[in-house]
Amino acid sequence: MNRYERWAAAAAALMLVAGAAIFLYAPTDYLQGPVQRIFYLHVSSAIAAYGCFAVVLVGGIIYLRTENVVADRFARAGALVGVVFTTVTLVMGMLWAKPIWGSFWTWDARLTSTLVLWIIYAGYLLVRRLSDPGRQAARLAAVVGIFGFIDVPVVHFSVTWWRTQHPGPIIVNDALPAQMLTTFFLTMACTLVLAAVMVWVRYRIETLTDERQHIAEAVPVVAAREPEPVP
Amino acid sequence: MNPFRVALAVARKDIRSEWRTREMVPALAQFIVLALLIGNFGFQIDARNAPAIAPGILWLALVFAGLVAFGRTFAAEREQASLEAMLMTPASPVAIFAGKAIAASLLLVICEAVLLPALTLFFGTPFTGDVVAAVLLATVGMAALGVMFAAIVARVRARELLLPLLTLPLWIPFIIAGGQAVQSAMGLPGNYQEAIGLLIDFDILFVVLTSLAARFVLEE
Amino acid sequence: MSLLVGNGLTHWFGRELALEGVDLVIDTGEHMAVLGDNGAGKTTLLRILATVLRPTSGQLEIAGLNAFRERRRLRHHVGYVAHATGLYPALTAAENLEFFCDLQDVSRTRVEEALDAVGLTRVARRRAGELSRGMQQRLSIARAILHEPRLLILDEPDASLGDDAAELLTQVMKDKTVVLATHDHALANRLCPRTLVLRHGRSHGTATRLRVVR
Repeated sequence: MNRYERWAAAAAALMLVAGAAIFLYAPTDYLQGPVQRIFYLHVSSAIAAYGCFAVVLVGGIIYLRTENVVADRFARAGALVGVVFTTVTLVMGMLWAKPIWGSFWTWDARLTSTLVLWIIYAGYLLVRRLSDPGRQAARLAAVVGIFGFIDVPVVHFSVTWWRTQHPGPIIVNDALPAQMLTTFFLTMACTLVLAAVMVWVRYRIETLTDERQHIAEAVPVVAAREPEPVP
Repeated sequence: MNPFRVALAVARKDIRSEWRTREMVPALAQFIVLALLIGNFGFQIDARNAPAIAPGILWLALVFAGLVAFGRTFAAEREQASLEAMLMTPASPVAIFAGKAIAASLLLVICEAVLLPALTLFFGTPFTGDVVAAVLLATVGMAALGVMFAAIVARVRARELLLPLLTLPLWIPFIIAGGQAVQSAMGLPGNYQEAIGLLIDFDILFVVLTSLAARFVLEE
Repeated sequence: MSLLVGNGLTHWFGRELALEGVDLVIDTGEHMAVLGDNGAGKTTLLRILATVLRPTSGQLEIAGLNAFRERRRLRHHVGYVAHATGLYPALTAAENLEFFCDLQDVSRTRVEEALDAVGLTRVARRRAGELSRGMQQRLSIARAILHEPRLLILDEPDASLGDDAAELLTQVMKDKTVVLATHDHALANRLCPRTLVLRHGRSHGTATRLRVVR
């Protein structure tokens, strides 16, 4: 087992611990019933996703300023992992919404901006896939990543202004029992570790991919000579 | 080197090319009329529900006409390798970008010149200064973003596919605020002043951001 | 005095090595031909020398300036005729040049001079798209010399010029430092005292190394 695998295993184990806390330790919500347990992972993965996209933003800005390839690889890793966590967030949110709101989806600010977030970074991944690897691809993607990050609060704000019905962030609230709070913070910590490990592993993969672009054996062929006479 | 002169030269060049070939305008106008036709069938429009649905159709038609128009702005330069020739000059990329954006937004304004009267004609919605103002304000920011993403996808495979994917999410704020403005201008509930204020904010935000990004997007 | 100094110019397109470790020095006023088969890396090298493309690695100095960091300042000095003409077909020959005068920040009086230099005065008012391929090529050369650059990079300009290609190019190249890529060995011999041969390697034809031949 190399160190990447060890870290991956550790992160997976942490998630099992979080799972245990969610299902065994945390009390069942009085109003929402067991469905409320979705909340722990749902909010945690949303936060992890935002963290990943912050990596894309910062990586992009650094890349545009310095053309540092490390920054770009982190941005690429962040985008992929971020999209995964956004997907988890959206799916869990919908599963929660069906019994509680009565429908899988509603067009409120948080849902809309999260969906937009998903679309933008899926677009970022497409830009990477559809352009030839190199400085240009990295630069264009950096611009897409930065605009995407800026767009999310703007969309969020527009929709809020328009209308909203998502439950507000009442996380740190006296009403929330201590066990729930503990479970929430534990889950969040575990999820963040998982996201960090995923980004790190992905960074390694991106590095190897980059290196492969250049290992094609240099073939010294060559010839210095006068132009051939015209036949 | 005066960047305004460069921007104007670029815009004039694009407009003159379009005027001579008339490639885009007739196609876009027809596209818009068709969009209204499809909207009519899709929504079962009659005299009662027309005012409620018309603003939505306006934005749908405008957004998709915009995608078609912006998709062309750099595709043409790219095929002709002329973008490269422009970038070989000492002219600043921001000025070149601004020129392209001005030409592209004019194209969109022409679309609107067909769209708004047609909407009034077919759906009987009011055709007022307020509606025009809202649509024009949205055009500014939409053009800046549209042209920037058009420049990005021009360097990528499958560009026709990617342009809407990248552009539409960033147009959402304009469609929300513009939609509100147009609805209230057409007599539906909504806060016109506030919507216009938002449109102006978004315009400033995205014009500044795209100008900052222009250099990275255009140069090799 | 050397106008252009390139060191270890290497370029990868993804996994394809297009240019490998090219070193070259070109003196002021010198004319150098670049010969090589299709895919030998001629265009890649010329694009790098024209500062259109930044190489994956390597250094390039033109007129004592770092060609990648001070690109903008250099552009007054470099004229580039690419493979594709890059003209606007709906604009007339003169309008095409006027547009580039504005971008180059040179007086529009240069348009007539440039058209005259390539023998297109007659068709100044015709649309670029209606001109023959050879005329378009001339127009693209006219555009490259609008701002009277010291360094002229020509990518196979003879491809469609026709019989008087040599005379025209001789005229255009006078008093300038020139790098000219071509398939035509006779033309290269006639116009350029110095030649550089690019050869692609193995079956992929991606690896290339080249040396300058005096």
